[in-house]
Amino acid sequence: MGMKLLLVEDDQVLAAGLVEQLQAFEHQVVHVVDGRQGLRALDDDHFDAVILDWMLPRLDGVSVLTTLRARDVTTPIIMLSALGQSAEKVRGLEAGADDYVVKPVAASELHARLGAVLRARKWARGGSGMLRAGDILVSPEKFRAWRNGKAIDLSHLELNLLAELARNVDTVLTRAMLLERVWAYDFEPSTNIVDVFIRRLRVKLTAAGGDDPIATLRGVGYMLRG
Amino acid sequence: MALRSLRSLTIAFLLAFLAATIGTGLAIHWVTQATITGLVDQRVAAASKAVAGPPAAGSRPADILRRIAAFEGRLDTADIGFMLVDGEGRLLGGNIHIRRRLPVGFSTVRREDYREGLGVGRALVRDLGGGLRLTTVAEIEPFDDYDEARTRIYLVGFGSIVLIVIAGLIAFGLLIKRRIAAIRRTVDAIIDGDMQRRLPVEPSRGEFAQQAQAFNRMLDRITELMSGISNVSNDIAHDLRTPLARLRGQLERLAAQADTPPLRAGLEEAIAQADHLLAMFGAVLRIAEVEGGDRRARFEPLDLGALARDVGAMMQAAAAEEARELVVGPCDSLPVLGDRQLLTQALINVIENGLRHTPPGSRVVVGAARSPAGAAVTIADDGPGIAPDQREEAMRRFGRLDKSRNQAGHGLGLPLVEAIMRLHRGSLALEDAGPGLKVVLVVPAP
Repeated sequence: MGMKLLLVEDDQVLAAGLVEQLQAFEHQVVHVVDGRQGLRALDDDHFDAVILDWMLPRLDGVSVLTTLRARDVTTPIIMLSALGQSAEKVRGLEAGADDYVVKPVAASELHARLGAVLRARKWARGGSGMLRAGDILVSPEKFRAWRNGKAIDLSHLELNLLAELARNVDTVLTRAMLLERVWAYDFEPSTNIVDVFIRRLRVKLTAAGGDDPIATLRGVGYMLRG
Repeated sequence: MALRSLRSLTIAFLLAFLAATIGTGLAIHWVTQATITGLVDQRVAAASKAVAGPPAAGSRPADILRRIAAFEGRLDTADIGFMLVDGEGRLLGGNIHIRRRLPVGFSTVRREDYREGLGVGRALVRDLGGGLRLTTVAEIEPFDDYDEARTRIYLVGFGSIVLIVIAGLIAFGLLIKRRIAAIRRTVDAIIDGDMQRRLPVEPSRGEFAQQAQAFNRMLDRITELMSGISNVSNDIAHDLRTPLARLRGQLERLAAQADTPPLRAGLEEAIAQADHLLAMFGAVLRIAEVEGGDRRARFEPLDLGALARDVGAMMQAAAAEEARELVVGPCDSLPVLGDRQLLTQALINVIENGLRHTPPGSRVVVGAARSPAGAAVTIADDGPGIAPDQREEAMRRFGRLDKSRNQAGHGLGLPLVEAIMRLHRGSLALEDAGPGLKVVLVVPAP
């Protein structure tokens, strides 16, 4: 599932490393070093997604973002920032970013987020509540889940975790993404609570038999198989 | 009385001033009284001598009464009176009548001593021989109720001086209090993290304006130095993260290509070390964000008791995996104003601390209740605890107690919790759970 990506980043060393690693994930990456070049590249060519740094020479990242959204350009955009303060994150998302990551970011994290962002674009927004992943059915509205038609007894948090995995079926979600989306934390506790809850979820999902539906991608994250 | 406070100094000054004022009033009263008495006594003596006359002029009662009558005719002697009495005390003549028998020599007569006569005055009684006694009286008071009038003048005069001084003291005290309150408000704001606060400077060139300017210059300098220091530490944390991330990326790529399990395991251990370092820099930057104080603008009403209960329940599974028991005790509803994310992080950090620094099988109990200082969350364990003399070290950045040095953690957990509590104007306290450590987080009620 290689994508055509535009990377707008002025740190040449960091960009070179990211380009190389993203290429290893079979993405095609075009790299430019400032905001103006970024806008021009988007005028000239089609990209599946944009990775946009916050601090850029000649037109900063948020201005590029605002300009693009004002022009009705809907290409998914992930903001990169060095600061990672929550006020900045809110600003980025309000300006129309699809996701926000704090530098330094591992290519695997970026790859997973790109997949999730693209996947999110395919949902029918506001579509009704039932989520299906293979033999698992989740109703986030009723706070219920079933496997093979049998109800699974889950806590509130476990159900939210399963719903997020089901919403992104066959897409990798990293620990950081799950913490943001399920726990709504803007920090990473040193206890790996994501792993703990995945283990509990696995026990409950396989209690009545059946294979483990959650795949672990070592050092990256988890994926619910469809 | 220790003269250290403005109030005690003012009271001491006022007492000294009142004593001096009253002393001055009394002294003036006594001196004038004595002078007037002396002058009146001279007049009485002169008049008495003139009426008694030299023996040659005749000293029979009729002679004396004639001289009294002549004396009475004069204009400047209306305030002088005479009374002549014989050996049996019978009144022979004169223009006044005193009931009381006065001693020979000078004495003071009061208004009630007269049957008929004058006002308050000085009397001179002379024995003229043959039982004859001549009493001469001159009024002391130049007009009626002179003494009361003089007291009123004293009261009004000195009273208004005292009032002016008290008003001045109050005005002066208020002025100083206002300045001190302004300084205290600024200092409080700065302690709370608002380094931009300054003292208002009045347009005058007075001492207060100069003091405010000097104080503000000092704050400018401190802010400059602090931002220098925090820039350095933030830059270090930030700039070290970039090469570290590259290193981690490279290790990740190598681990993906590693063809033998030991090599892969070694690379994964190296990645874990890199993650630990990244988490440490993340914590430094997080503390800097909290200390910046900007997040206070996003405070919202929340229930700290419910938050403690939820976080405690959430951490129970993690505790069970580490073979510790996490008990969520009674958690009262405790409405506070705060940052949900930061308070959650503080609670997780303290609970993690309790799980990390206790032996397997230990119990950690979370509870929330109202305390005099506000909403208090208590996290107590039955582990080895921290000796009182080591608690300060435990709160210091990168401060690690020896016995835990080999365990996980980066020594920034409690300092971050402390920064979060400070942002909420609350507190973090380490206490003895006997045995074990009790951590108390307090957020003042809104």
